[in-house]
Amino acid sequence: MKQRALTGWINFAVFLVLEIASLHMLKHNGDMQKAWLARGSHWVMGSVWGTSQRIHDYFSLAATNQQLSQENFALREQLFQAQEKLQQLRVDSLQLVPRPGFSLIAAEVTKISRNKQHNYLILNRGYEDGIQEKSGIISQNGVVGIVDAVSAHYSYAFSFQNSDISISARLGSEGESGLLVWDGIHTNGAVLKEIPLQQQYHPGDTVFTSGHSLLFPPDIPLGIAGSSKIVNGATSEIEVRLFQDFSAVRYVTVVHNNAFDEIEEFEP
Amino acid sequence: MRKSGFWVAYSLLLVAQILLSNYFRFTPYITLSILPVMVLCISTRIQPYLCMLIAFFSGLIVDWLSEGVLGLNAFSLVPVALLRNPVIHLVYGEGLFTRKEDFTVKSHGFAKVVMAILMMQTLFLALYIWADGAGLRPFWFGLARFFASLPVGLAVSLMTLNVLAADQHR
Repeated sequence: MKQRALTGWINFAVFLVLEIASLHMLKHNGDMQKAWLARGSHWVMGSVWGTSQRIHDYFSLAATNQQLSQENFALREQLFQAQEKLQQLRVDSLQLVPRPGFSLIAAEVTKISRNKQHNYLILNRGYEDGIQEKSGIISQNGVVGIVDAVSAHYSYAFSFQNSDISISARLGSEGESGLLVWDGIHTNGAVLKEIPLQQQYHPGDTVFTSGHSLLFPPDIPLGIAGSSKIVNGATSEIEVRLFQDFSAVRYVTVVHNNAFDEIEEFEP
Repeated sequence: MRKSGFWVAYSLLLVAQILLSNYFRFTPYITLSILPVMVLCISTRIQPYLCMLIAFFSGLIVDWLSEGVLGLNAFSLVPVALLRNPVIHLVYGEGLFTRKEDFTVKSHGFAKVVMAILMMQTLFLALYIWADGAGLRPFWFGLARFFASLPVGLAVSLMTLNVLAADQHR
């Protein structure tokens, strides 16, 4: 059996050598064949290089993701700084004392649960990195959760996919605010509650953070409004399809309201 | 045919192929070659790698001494030698190898012989016309050349077979 396999390899090797020798002779003796073989070799080399480049790209995806996440964080930080400057200009024009804004810290999700009613996530940043309890967690696709406990290097947070969590959200840029909660069924499903009946809205309107919560800055797009129903004859409940895909969340930003403690003092 | 007789006949047929390549070029649509059937008639007792070497040098001699491009016949004939045993297997079954017989018309029948030659000629002509055209000639020309050359090649190969494998069991 081994002898037969060896003979097979020898035959194949001899075949390759003889064919390569023939092609070499063809290349050096026929002008047409020379151009033809050059085109063929370019095509083969192009395919080989292209494939090896794609393999290299695939294995460098982690580094690329990391780099994109850093760029994303830097852009979000610039956006927040610009918004704060804008606020500052308004305050200056009204001769008021400026208010503290939000601070941002980039983090990576170490662990996340998705198949429970009370889901949670763990971030790779702790109080040594500046993370504080009662901070919001956002990504480029919306709200991810709320930091509940902090250790030196890690943070434990409630995921938005947690039936105990609700956030203040607004219908459209000028609409009424309500409470946005996970619908408990779909990975991207939520319900916007306590919307007054007189509120006019259209399915397809975007839902944003309202800014009434101490945890999240205003105007972060959260999802798209769907159908509605009247509850107890007093308010509407609107279905919302979230932008956030919780199965793919990895790089996040922890936002902390610098005025949180000051405002909390007023709470009973 | 005795071993030495076979190789003398093989050498003479190689000369005949050189003459065919140099003087029997009536039209660009016909490529006349008896090299595939010559490779087919080489004893099955000879190892495939040796058969490929014989085919390579046979093609090279024809290329060198005729008007073609050096390497063209060698390039087309080596795969024929590589696939010679599988083709014989396919057409004649295992028996030819277990009995250590060679390829003849009388003992194996005309239809099977035609089938084997057709397969060898098809492979040879496909490679030869493809490499000769070098991607510059239109596809229809290559196709016409192939279908014109195949029956002529088959007829000449059958005549060649009478020289190389006629008296195997005398």
